[in-house]
Amino acid sequence: MKNATQTEIEEALTCQCGCGLTVHSCNHVQCPSGIPLKREIAAQLGEGRTRAEVLAYFSTKYGEKILSAPTTTGFNLVAWVTPFAAVLVAGAVIVVVSRRWRRPPTVPPPSRPAPIDEARRARLEAELGRFDA
Amino acid sequence: MVDLGLLALRLAFVGGLYAVLTAVYGAWARRPAYARSARHAAYAVHALVAVAAAVLWHALLTANFSLEYVASYASSTLSLPYRIAALWGGQAGSLLFWVLILTTMSTVVHLQNRDRNAALMPYVTATLMTIAVFFLALLVFVTSPFERLPVPAAEGADLNPLLQNYWMLIHPPSLYLGYVGCSVPFAFAIAALVTGRLGDVWIRTTRRWTLFAWFFLTLGNMLGARWAYEELGWGGYWAWDPVENAAFMPWLSCTAFLHSVMIQEKKNMLKMWNMVLVLLTFCLTIFGTFLTRSGVVSSVHSFTQSGLGPFFVAFLLGVIVVVSGLVIWRRPLLRGENEIDSFLSREASFLFNNLLLVGIAFATFWGTIFPVISEAVRGIKITVGPPFFNKVNAPLGLALLFMTGVGPVIAWRRASARKLRRSFAAPLGVGFVTGAVIFAAGWRNYYAVVCFSLAAFVLATILMEFYRGTRARQALMGEPAPRALANLVGKNRRRYGGYVIHVGVVMVFIGVAASSAFRLEEQETIRKGDVVQVGSFTLTYKDIHFTDDPHYSSMLAEIAVAKDGAPVGTLFPEKRFYKKQQQPTTEVALRSTLVEDLYLVLGSYDEATGLMTMIVFVNPLVNWLWIGGLVMVLGTVIVMSPTAAERRALAAALAVEDRGLEAALR
Repeated sequence: MKNATQTEIEEALTCQCGCGLTVHSCNHVQCPSGIPLKREIAAQLGEGRTRAEVLAYFSTKYGEKILSAPTTTGFNLVAWVTPFAAVLVAGAVIVVVSRRWRRPPTVPPPSRPAPIDEARRARLEAELGRFDA
Repeated sequence: MVDLGLLALRLAFVGGLYAVLTAVYGAWARRPAYARSARHAAYAVHALVAVAAAVLWHALLTANFSLEYVASYASSTLSLPYRIAALWGGQAGSLLFWVLILTTMSTVVHLQNRDRNAALMPYVTATLMTIAVFFLALLVFVTSPFERLPVPAAEGADLNPLLQNYWMLIHPPSLYLGYVGCSVPFAFAIAALVTGRLGDVWIRTTRRWTLFAWFFLTLGNMLGARWAYEELGWGGYWAWDPVENAAFMPWLSCTAFLHSVMIQEKKNMLKMWNMVLVLLTFCLTIFGTFLTRSGVVSSVHSFTQSGLGPFFVAFLLGVIVVVSGLVIWRRPLLRGENEIDSFLSREASFLFNNLLLVGIAFATFWGTIFPVISEAVRGIKITVGPPFFNKVNAPLGLALLFMTGVGPVIAWRRASARKLRRSFAAPLGVGFVTGAVIFAAGWRNYYAVVCFSLAAFVLATILMEFYRGTRARQALMGEPAPRALANLVGKNRRRYGGYVIHVGVVMVFIGVAASSAFRLEEQETIRKGDVVQVGSFTLTYKDIHFTDDPHYSSMLAEIAVAKDGAPVGTLFPEKRFYKKQQQPTTEVALRSTLVEDLYLVLGSYDEATGLMTMIVFVNPLVNWLWIGGLVMVLGTVIVMSPTAAERRALAAALAVEDRGLEAALR
């Protein structure tokens, strides 16, 4: 029976065999990456290190790409914040825009109709006459 | 024979080009004869692509190893169904399969619209054929399925063993139908933009196509999950692999469109937004194809080192530039009668539903491409894996589940306090009670508690809708309850079919929440006769069996299963070793009930010591995920089944638009 910290750390690391799964999920027979990593985690925990220390150890040894999710520091924070920021900003846009939709349409001030020349007036009269007939 | 395939592809490419040019010229010069010729050319392209596909199928079935494609993806021992499926098992073949589906759809669209939509159709032809020409160009100039080997191979390398699973016969075709189906609404959208006919017609003409595409995207995603569950043997079904994401994103934007289009049909609002969603969905399907074929992100699905990436990027950029230009040009015509009276209204709730769907799509997109961004900015490769997607999408997903309950029930325009109470007091009560009960029962996984409470809330709103509708019909028409219910659904298929889909969605949420929150997992290395206890299951390792045939060898562990002490059967988790590819696969053994799945994986077996490693998962309620998928599919069938009212609406829209256009031209 594995302890919970071991499982948690296995979930926080990516298997390097190309399966794209976490170390915990990879179940390749004799996986050249997953199995040694699991052993290494157990060894690290056996030396009394904490979860954070073990993860830091792996990150230093294998590079940051071994972590299964971006860290929450520095530029990586952008990964975490952007989706929520985008939804919040878009939500705010919806609120603002639909408030504008709620207002009754502004009616332009009535302006004096442009004067009509005689030729147009005659044509208008003729067409209206035809329409009535 | 092979030369016939090559010739057919080349002629199809030329025919496609001809169709594009003639259709555009015919529409521009108002010469219907040209549009007709373009249509005929599109039929010819379809026939030629079918010939090419038939030739490749023939080569696969006759194991013609002088073709590189056949030698790479088939073998003499590969069984018939997988030889058929090998057509979409590799790069070039899957592109050919894609064009085959696209041109088949193009033919159906042309037949459907022979006497309809004369103004739109030339541009529909041109758009569909442009897409076909792009894929055909790849097949003719870049990656031919009919490439010959200098010396015919004696034996093929065989299909990847992971693909030798019956889901291979149905998951990729289903997903492709969904992907390619998105091209049809896209083509009509382009035609509507170019011609300025941005009224109801194109929306109503493509409604069923959009549903068709959505139906197959849903099915394709579900089948893919099921395949992963059965074949990969890690106890899960969704790993947020880039290619899974690629299939999930267009599903999300298509779902958003299917919802917001209702607001356009009812209130003539959101015309611009709906246009953007249709265009976005298509772009996401191309982006998805790009992801699988570019090697930009690593994935179990990638056709690695294909070198097709730049072509897809160029095509995608071209599409984005053209559609952006069209949308900006037609902006004045895309202004709807946007009006929102209150945030407590159906209109507003659909806006928020769209926000969440597109938000999840964006989060998924963002996570998928972030490794590339990180490398560009910091020069450091990082991984964005399942923990990221689960953490980011879970809250958005739960909010969406809540909106699933609110959206269909809340009143149009403005919901009064009295109506809100009437619609939501009881369901909210049901939700809270559910939450309280499971919390009291000792559940401490908060996501699961919230998810189950929301699920209860949504189900309650839907049940109330069915109950009220049936009661109303009983009272008004004097029908007995079963007939009233049947008529209620039959006469309002969109609405009640939609509710059925929502019930399916709720089941999916329940299955996902329970199986991820309460999964049991155990790995044991045991000897014959040993007993393993996992949850309420007692598993006894009885024996191990070996089989061997020319295609693969296999070992099966015989495990006697007892639940709460009572024997319930024997399971045989299996490990296969495929000889051509020298690769093992896991064939899990499942005991599936509505309460839980017992999922056994044979990890390894050491002949010298007789030790067998077995991985045991108990996945609670996971079956509801698959049942939910089926219910969604059933609901979509109800929604899609045609009604007379809908035909009348399309006819009316056609008449209005024709009158309007005639008036404008006079």
